[in-house]
Amino acid sequence: MKKLGVIPAMIVLTVAAVLGLAACGSSSDGKKGGTLTVSYASFPELDPQLSYSSEGWSAIYNTYIPLLTYAHADGPAGSEVVPGLAEDLPTISEDEKTYTLKLRKGLKYSDGTPVKASDFRSTVERLFEVESGGSPFYSDIVGAEDFLEGKADSISGITTDDASGEITIELNGPSGTFVNELAMPFVALVPPGTPAKPVNNTPPPATGPYELTDVKPGRSWSYARNPQWEKANAGAMPDLPGGHVDKIEVTVVSNQSTQVNDVEQGKANWMFDPIPPDRIAEIKQRYDGTQYRPESSISTYFFWVNTTRPPFDDVQVRQAVNHAVDPAALERIYAGEIIPSQQILPPDMPGYEKFELYPHDVAKAKAMIEQADPADREITVWTIALDPNDVAGEYYESILDEIGFDATLKTVNPDNYFTLIGNESTPDLDTGWANWFEDYPHPNDFFEPLLAGTSIAPTNNTNLARFADPKLDAKMTELGAEPLSPEIETGYAELDKAYMEQAPWAPYGSRRLSLFVSDDIDMENVIWNPTFSGDLTSFQFK
Amino acid sequence: MSRGPASLAWRRLRGNRVALAAAALFVLIVVFCLAAPLWSSGVAESGPNATHTVEKIEVDGQQREVVSPDGTPIGPVWFGAGGKFFLGADGRLGRDEMVRLMYGGRTSLIVGFSAGLLATLLAVAAALLAGYYRGRTDTAIARLLDLAWSFPVLLLAIALGAALAAGGLKLGPIEIQSGSILLPILIIGLVYTPYVARPLRGEVLALREKEFMEAATAQGAGPARLMLRELLPNLWSTIVVFFTLVVAQSLLLEAALSYVGVGVQAPDPSWGAMISSGFKLLYTSPLLTILPGAMILLTVLSLNVFGDALRDALDPRSRADLEVHTGSYEPEREVVA
Repeated sequence: MKKLGVIPAMIVLTVAAVLGLAACGSSSDGKKGGTLTVSYASFPELDPQLSYSSEGWSAIYNTYIPLLTYAHADGPAGSEVVPGLAEDLPTISEDEKTYTLKLRKGLKYSDGTPVKASDFRSTVERLFEVESGGSPFYSDIVGAEDFLEGKADSISGITTDDASGEITIELNGPSGTFVNELAMPFVALVPPGTPAKPVNNTPPPATGPYELTDVKPGRSWSYARNPQWEKANAGAMPDLPGGHVDKIEVTVVSNQSTQVNDVEQGKANWMFDPIPPDRIAEIKQRYDGTQYRPESSISTYFFWVNTTRPPFDDVQVRQAVNHAVDPAALERIYAGEIIPSQQILPPDMPGYEKFELYPHDVAKAKAMIEQADPADREITVWTIALDPNDVAGEYYESILDEIGFDATLKTVNPDNYFTLIGNESTPDLDTGWANWFEDYPHPNDFFEPLLAGTSIAPTNNTNLARFADPKLDAKMTELGAEPLSPEIETGYAELDKAYMEQAPWAPYGSRRLSLFVSDDIDMENVIWNPTFSGDLTSFQFK
Repeated sequence: MSRGPASLAWRRLRGNRVALAAAALFVLIVVFCLAAPLWSSGVAESGPNATHTVEKIEVDGQQREVVSPDGTPIGPVWFGAGGKFFLGADGRLGRDEMVRLMYGGRTSLIVGFSAGLLATLLAVAAALLAGYYRGRTDTAIARLLDLAWSFPVLLLAIALGAALAAGGLKLGPIEIQSGSILLPILIIGLVYTPYVARPLRGEVLALREKEFMEAATAQGAGPARLMLRELLPNLWSTIVVFFTLVVAQSLLLEAALSYVGVGVQAPDPSWGAMISSGFKLLYTSPLLTILPGAMILLTVLSLNVFGDALRDALDPRSRADLEVHTGSYEPEREVVA
């Protein structure tokens, strides 16, 4: 066996190091260049402080980078929080209430403005000013409530030093999830002076490898390489990928079957949305392993009921609805692309423990409704005009009619759906369809934004059931303050069951997703992040 | 013995075999749709919106799933299950396609006829007022009709439908909930009003100068009597012809509106809505699109053929037509006093 000499070994090591660095920092492995064409079924919000959908987060994952971010990796590895604009993960004080981070040096926004530590404070303040649906995640920062109520001009719990780049965040109490929350796009830095109003159509300058350009509301948007990436940011953040393609053009194609046709014909390179159920068998048969691969998701699909008014203010009525909804029927409606479940926590989430509180029994549901005899049986069922969720809404309406309600279905355009049902002034918000994909890999994410009393908001409301139970809220806060451990996970499993006993939702499963690309895309290297789905920096042409 | 105009028209119509065949076809379609509750309760044992996603049925002694695990609906089984799922299931919800086709026809015909009736009533009122009073009244009504005329029918109807789809209509005491069948009726009726009103107005303007009008005025008849008792009877043949044509056009527009999601709302069936939902399954279950499409084709064809024949029978010299696709109308007709 031969040994390498010292000089050849140094050369090899140097080359390996250069290649390794390049692989991380600027993604020079694989083919570079070209224009990637992508289709989305709906036009997401592109304002980082407002964007709160899987479409939106996928779209801005590589444009707006928070202090911390998620690893650009598939599967569980993609759930790891890694440094973003910050040099390292935060230093947390012994009382777990103070987080200290340091901004990397030399960072610039795509317009050339230097990124400063104080931009973090102005970004968080903007988050509150635009009444973002993500603001509850940060309301535990000292002084945030005062700022929100107009009692203070700035958030006192965030102190920054632009010279050293140090950022200190003080919380009112310990949090087991704040590191994850610092990695959410809500707190991705934007320049100071970014208007305190939605800027979806004129997105602010970017910090990531791509910047948003040419936004045509409702129709399309594009990405170009951030001119400051190679000059400044790639060197400062060598562990983040720089992307392979030079340009990305995204078009809104509301018909998912047309999206499939476009990918098949090479008119689009990737469709963000899942393949519609009516095409899934055909696509699997023709393209499995070459242009198609199944992907998992950490998600819950459910029907919410408005617990603040009749008929769903009665727990017996809500439980009856759970007995009436048949996850097996919905599995067929989704052509097998859903894993049936009647729980809040999805199967891959820590804390998930299977239980079955509401076996499907329409006769029992009818009897329960008869017994409860709700005063108001005329209800409105809301659903989104996006296959197969629209069909799920139709199914739900039919079973509500079957158990004794007089239900009317309202189907809303995907661009407006969540805005409409999240606005308390929308009339007839009785019940409807919704889904939730994880913001971060922690069970708290399926409770606090969705079911905590503090999450009920007049606009951008995420607690669609408008459910508030002080005892369960207290339990949730107690669990959320601790880092995950087997004991805490058991606590979340109990919380899951306790919530479902109150039945604010009728959950029916967790979605299977898919990656479908054109034949000129190197599918093997496409990264599917569990939170951000298809990672645009990983797409490359063969 | 001399024959009256109605008798002559009937004679002419009776001699037109194509027209009679069209009328017979239309009657058959109406009967098919009216029989929906009988088929639904007596044969299919399922309502139009009842879902059967996870159910199994016995077809020729074999158990078959209404919807397979991959979401494919069962195809036509004819009488293999005693008439249940005669034309198969409509999609992943497993609703009986035959039942929905029949009920969908009722909805489409109700919308078509009601919208046609509304358009005709509004048009007659506008034409009588404008043609009789002339002057400022005529100018105001005619410009209003021109304004509506200037928009392409489909675009105007979709715009109205989209605007009213979410919140419904609240206009003083009138309140129509979104999702109500009254919305497409109102929208279609309104957008087709100018197409009937303009030629009728022209006819009223011509009729107003006839001797019988002068005679009635000399006898002391007031405006209401002149319009309703003298002018209106002379417009009947035109009104009847336009009504059949506008019903056919309304059926088509209902289908178009429902196809784009602003007409009849889910889960209620209409032929247009069925084409829209069936289109998703075009590759695997093309019948779901073809069947409601064929029903629309046959209904509109029968109404158009019959309407043309009726026009010829009532007034062989006229060449009136409802040309809404191009947005133009040529009122080349002679007025019979």
